[in-house]
Amino acid sequence: MTTFAELLVNGVSIGSVYALIALGFVIIFKATEVVNFAHASLLLVGGFAVAKLVGPLGFWPALLAGVAIAAAVAALVELLVLRRSRAGDHHVLAIVTIGVDILITTELTRQIGTEVLSMGDPWQSAVVEVAGISVPQTRLAALVTAVALITCFLLAFRFTDWGVAMRVAAEDREAAALMGVRLNRVSLAAWAVAGALAAVAALFLTVFPTPGLDRSTSLVALKAFPAAILGGLDSTTGALVGGLIIGLTESLASGYQNDLTFLGRGLGDVAPYLVMIVILLIRPAGLFGTRELARV
Amino acid sequence: MKSSLRKTAVSLTALVLAAATAGCGSGKATGGSGGTGADGVKQGPGVTDKTIKLGLATDLTGVYAPLGKSITNAQQLHFEEINKAGGICGRTIEAVVRDHGYDPQKAVSIYSELSGSVLALPHFLGSPMVSAVKQRIESDKIFTIPSAWTTALLGNQYIQVTGTTYDVDMINGIQWMLDKKMIKSGDKIGHVYFEGDYGESALRGAKYAAQHNNLTIVEQKIKATDNDMSSQVAALNQAGVKAILISAGPRQAASLAGIARSRGMKQPILGSNSAFSPQLLDTAAAPALAQGFFIATAGAPMSSDLPAMKKLADDYSKKYPGQPLDSGVVNGYGGAKIVTEALKKACEAKDLTREGLIKAHRSRNAFDDGLGTPMDFSYWDKPATRKTYITQPKKGAPGGVVTVQEATESELAKNYQVPVGTF
Amino acid sequence: MSERTSPLPSLPRLVAWAVGLAVMVAVPFYAEAFFLQAGVFAMAAAIGAIGLNLLTGSTGQLSLGHAFFLAVGAYGYVYLAGESGNGLAGLGLPTWLAVVGAVLLAGLAGGLFSPIAGRLRGTYLGIASLALVFIGQHILHNAHAVTGGANGRDVPPLEIAGFSFADTPELVVLQVPFRALEKLWFLALALLLLAAWIARGVLNGRPGRAMNTIRDHEIAAGVMGVPVARYRAAVFVVSSMYAGLAGVLLAMAFRRTVPDYFGLLLSLEYLAMIVIGGLGTVAGAVIGAVFVSLLPPLFTRYADGLPLIAPPGSGGVSPAEASRILYGAIVVAVVLFLPGGLMGLWQRLRASTAARRKSTPSPRMEPEEQPA
Repeated sequence: MTTFAELLVNGVSIGSVYALIALGFVIIFKATEVVNFAHASLLLVGGFAVAKLVGPLGFWPALLAGVAIAAAVAALVELLVLRRSRAGDHHVLAIVTIGVDILITTELTRQIGTEVLSMGDPWQSAVVEVAGISVPQTRLAALVTAVALITCFLLAFRFTDWGVAMRVAAEDREAAALMGVRLNRVSLAAWAVAGALAAVAALFLTVFPTPGLDRSTSLVALKAFPAAILGGLDSTTGALVGGLIIGLTESLASGYQNDLTFLGRGLGDVAPYLVMIVILLIRPAGLFGTRELARV
Repeated sequence: MKSSLRKTAVSLTALVLAAATAGCGSGKATGGSGGTGADGVKQGPGVTDKTIKLGLATDLTGVYAPLGKSITNAQQLHFEEINKAGGICGRTIEAVVRDHGYDPQKAVSIYSELSGSVLALPHFLGSPMVSAVKQRIESDKIFTIPSAWTTALLGNQYIQVTGTTYDVDMINGIQWMLDKKMIKSGDKIGHVYFEGDYGESALRGAKYAAQHNNLTIVEQKIKATDNDMSSQVAALNQAGVKAILISAGPRQAASLAGIARSRGMKQPILGSNSAFSPQLLDTAAAPALAQGFFIATAGAPMSSDLPAMKKLADDYSKKYPGQPLDSGVVNGYGGAKIVTEALKKACEAKDLTREGLIKAHRSRNAFDDGLGTPMDFSYWDKPATRKTYITQPKKGAPGGVVTVQEATESELAKNYQVPVGTF
Repeated sequence: MSERTSPLPSLPRLVAWAVGLAVMVAVPFYAEAFFLQAGVFAMAAAIGAIGLNLLTGSTGQLSLGHAFFLAVGAYGYVYLAGESGNGLAGLGLPTWLAVVGAVLLAGLAGGLFSPIAGRLRGTYLGIASLALVFIGQHILHNAHAVTGGANGRDVPPLEIAGFSFADTPELVVLQVPFRALEKLWFLALALLLLAAWIARGVLNGRPGRAMNTIRDHEIAAGVMGVPVARYRAAVFVVSSMYAGLAGVLLAMAFRRTVPDYFGLLLSLEYLAMIVIGGLGTVAGAVIGAVFVSLLPPLFTRYADGLPLIAPPGSGGVSPAEASRILYGAIVVAVVLFLPGGLMGLWQRLRASTAARRKSTPSPRMEPEEQPA
């Protein structure tokens, strides 16, 4: 039973990190209807900046700087690439983000080279024991941060001008533009926010229990795809729930893989996608996504 | 309809035209082999009177870039030394380095290029990549040293797997743990391993050792993208394992050790030779790796007392300052030396063809490069040695590891029937 | 998007065809193994890209699962044609039959996915199809008897009526020794021409127009009487069959299938191909495929002579990195500056020269302005 509880806690805590990444996807998708495949590279930008700056600046300033740099890079991508693209087709825009991802990731992995960069975080490898279950402090920090950030966004969406503009833009771009919403600003802000979130996620993906940032870190961002989509691509609540579901599925499928050998070993990586397919079969727009209704 | 008729007509004309032009003599008709040199030495592809070309198909930009870089650097160092000493057969060694980025398609393209232009491949990184061209290596008769230690590559006389294979390392490692009373008959041991032949080859060895000692293996298969071993550790802890084996990458090993130690699990952890890299000692995982973490490997650690090793460590650090002295350096240098020694021998026989090279190579049954255990190259359906070092990470030591037990071949490993061409 | 061909090809067009074909036929007589290998890969990729372009370019369904269908084709062929034994299962069918079977199998796999494909729209489908790649990897690694696991399986050479597409027996044509790659070159060329011809027929006919309508406005298409769901499922099946055929060819060119190849990166490469070449046209897919498959090997090989590129391992920008950067930059640049891809550029160049010659402006639709 303790194993189950432990796997549960693990799943929730890693799931909250996935939720942060997924939230970035969702925000960009809501504002621009573009699926951002370059998210993994934004994550790498944030992580790399923090790791490089932690020496001279210390942890907290380095984290702030890393978040700012990732936000700036994301905003630049929006300004220089997406805004200038004349293609109206969202698929084409999704593909252009793949190009951006290749560019940034190649250069950063070249910079990282063969090193494993340490984040220099204050938690290090400390663990908290609660009722016989040990949880790394980093994971608790991740959970608290993710919940706090996501709550902030839910509130911001509801009550700030930017949030309203964003929701209007997601609802109907043309109407929003006619009503005086500056779509350019909304979209720029969405990208910057997503970049900042990715940097925070990068921090929690590369601290204990993982040794640090290296060239393979960006691959982890892929796990946020199923999280974002099964929650519903245009739902911030969905991102949170999706992240948790993926985290839990992964954790439980790995932990109980010896009881599930008939499905093949190494199930932890596939299980999230299986869950995603099942959910999409039942609800094609994800758990919390808005169904597209068309009136003819 | 009419248009397709016209197209057909055009196509036919084109075919005739092409055939006609092709008839006008093509350079390909003769083949590229060098014939016999001015000094009476028979020359294979890549050999001229002045140079011998060798191909290095490596990974400098993909997931195994750290390993690929060390091996490539070390081999370049060796060839430089050979050339400074006058080369081989009066010819200088020229290394053709190609980066496949751990992509099988690129590797096949690179192989196609190299197979026509070099004499041998002293470094071909990645078991999936070498597997992909295994048949062609056989038909091209090209002497290849794969930088992968899986049994899947045994059984082909042109492919020389150096040192032990992963399964043999695991058998020796488990025997060592039994000898040291870390585990005893009836215990459960966990094995966290990568999907693919590295992990699965190691698992086979662990299972064999377990079967003969009444141990139970608790399997945890993972992928290279898994960086957080929390769930695996939780499952192994629940199963009550007395030791943990890990055949994965350095990241996974660091995560595993970190979590296990932080939650107070004291079991010994034994890693395969690719489960550690010295870079880890600069990360937060370092303290965990200093407690009961061991590595089973065929390559002697950089910190060992062998004179050749000391010289290699010095030379390498001089040529590539700041680069890590990991196991890739030893493996790479050793692999290059196997090829250059074979070349020297082939030169004596005045036969620098591919056939001549492999014959020279296979004629040696006690090759000792001074960097570890002697190897027997006269067979290719068994690993060239079954001796495994047990090492331990230590910050500050050259290469980050020190020897715990010198290279030893256990009785268990001696009687082990190695699977050939599979795992 | 697809340009309708005039009923009678003009003379310069015919000459261009003839020259192109002659060059393609002559290449194996001169080129070394490296180029042939790259060429066969490129032609196989072109077949796969045509299939993806039918789906994504013409019908507007984003698919990230193309690598999975390539794998079904490749492994389907190996399983159907391979012999049992050594822990592996195989049906040992005649190899030509195995090719047909593998293509059908890929189509079947596409059909099985179509309940999902039919229900999901655009972006959702794109990411759902991502699942196929990961599930595919899981199966390839675990279904050991069929796939050979991580180690992969040898690919039996194709044999048609006693003629074997292998190194032996060596065939000598006009004094040039024909080994596997030379033979495969012609096989790939023939299959590519066939695949392109069929796809052109589909695009230029009724189905093509229906597909484009679905892409441009699904509801409108439904209102106009296009059976949208059926078309979408059918296109998915056809596209998967193209991928299957490409997979079979790739397997033959590799001579061994390894699961690592059929990963997410491969799916992304195919998307890059159709974007670079030009969405919605057969020629675009072919150009894109050739471009994307030839760029990295050529770069790696000729890096020594190129400026700004450091030799591998020296710490500067290595050839592999340079080719990746260039490839990423081209994807971005094409989308930004060349809507319609390389094919679109070519058409515009031709349109402008033709316009100059005739001095009549060619009518061209401007892409709809983005609401800003």
